[in-house]
Amino acid sequence: MATTILSAGITIEGELTSDDDIEIAGTVRGKISCKDAITIASGAVVEAELTASKVALAGAVTGNVVAEDRVDIQVGGRLIGDVRAARLTIADGASFKGNVDMDV
Amino acid sequence: MSTTVIAAGTWVRGSIQGEGDVTVAGRVDGEIEVAGDVTLDGTALVKGNVSGARIVVRGAVAGDLSGTSAVLLEDGARVVGDVRAPSLGVGDGALVRGRIETSDAAGSRPSASHAQRPAARPAAAPAKAAPPPRPAPRVEPPKAAAPHAPPKPAAAPAPPAPKPPPPVVPAMKKGAKAALKKRVAG
Repeated sequence: MATTILSAGITIEGELTSDDDIEIAGTVRGKISCKDAITIASGAVVEAELTASKVALAGAVTGNVVAEDRVDIQVGGRLIGDVRAARLTIADGASFKGNVDMDV
Repeated sequence: MSTTVIAAGTWVRGSIQGEGDVTVAGRVDGEIEVAGDVTLDGTALVKGNVSGARIVVRGAVAGDLSGTSAVLLEDGARVVGDVRAPSLGVGDGALVRGRIETSDAAGSRPSASHAQRPAARPAAAPAKAAPPPRPAPRVEPPKAAAPHAPPKPAAAPAPPAPKPPPPVVPAMKKGAKAALKKRVAG
């Protein structure tokens, strides 16, 4: 289905809810809920709580992340917040500060 | 700069600001304020003011539209709010309810139009609320005509009960119904 795209230069303040994928290259402050994947591009600034099936981040995120499936912190990605997910990868070169809960 | 897309199935509760173009096919409860063009697709539902360079509307908007370049209301557009732009286009099938201003100087007095509207709306409300008192006088004559039958007055107070129901039907629903009929017909 259609992907929601927030390009660079755009700022959303508030709550964002989607049934489909979300790609963020801009700025979001608030809360993001997505039934599918959230992709946060390099250069993006997200200060929000994230809830999704999958989260892939290469930008800066401040806030807790809850993913049903997986969280991938890619090269250049920066996450400050707690992660709760079944699977987690942190790439070499990514930065992360927070707790991890993998339902062990 | 690439376009920001709020897809169908996406709901934004809050403001969208910045540079670049925005296309909305989903739902936005809040302000959209961008430097680029704004396109509201047929499935879009926006509750809030929209401002941009060129605004193209094919969906529903409850809020003011302010385009620095142009505002185009195309088939399927349902707008409840004021429209301001140097250049305005209203296509066949577009529905508008609100003030329209198409001068370059329009942007200099948005506060004036906002100051006038609150006064206009309360004035309209009493006019619609006035009809309900009428049923009461109608009920009284039967009481006087048939004083022998006490049960009837008991029945008579019942009709006033439906009085509260005449609420003002939101204008959006009227437009929505018309749009639905058109879709079914077309």
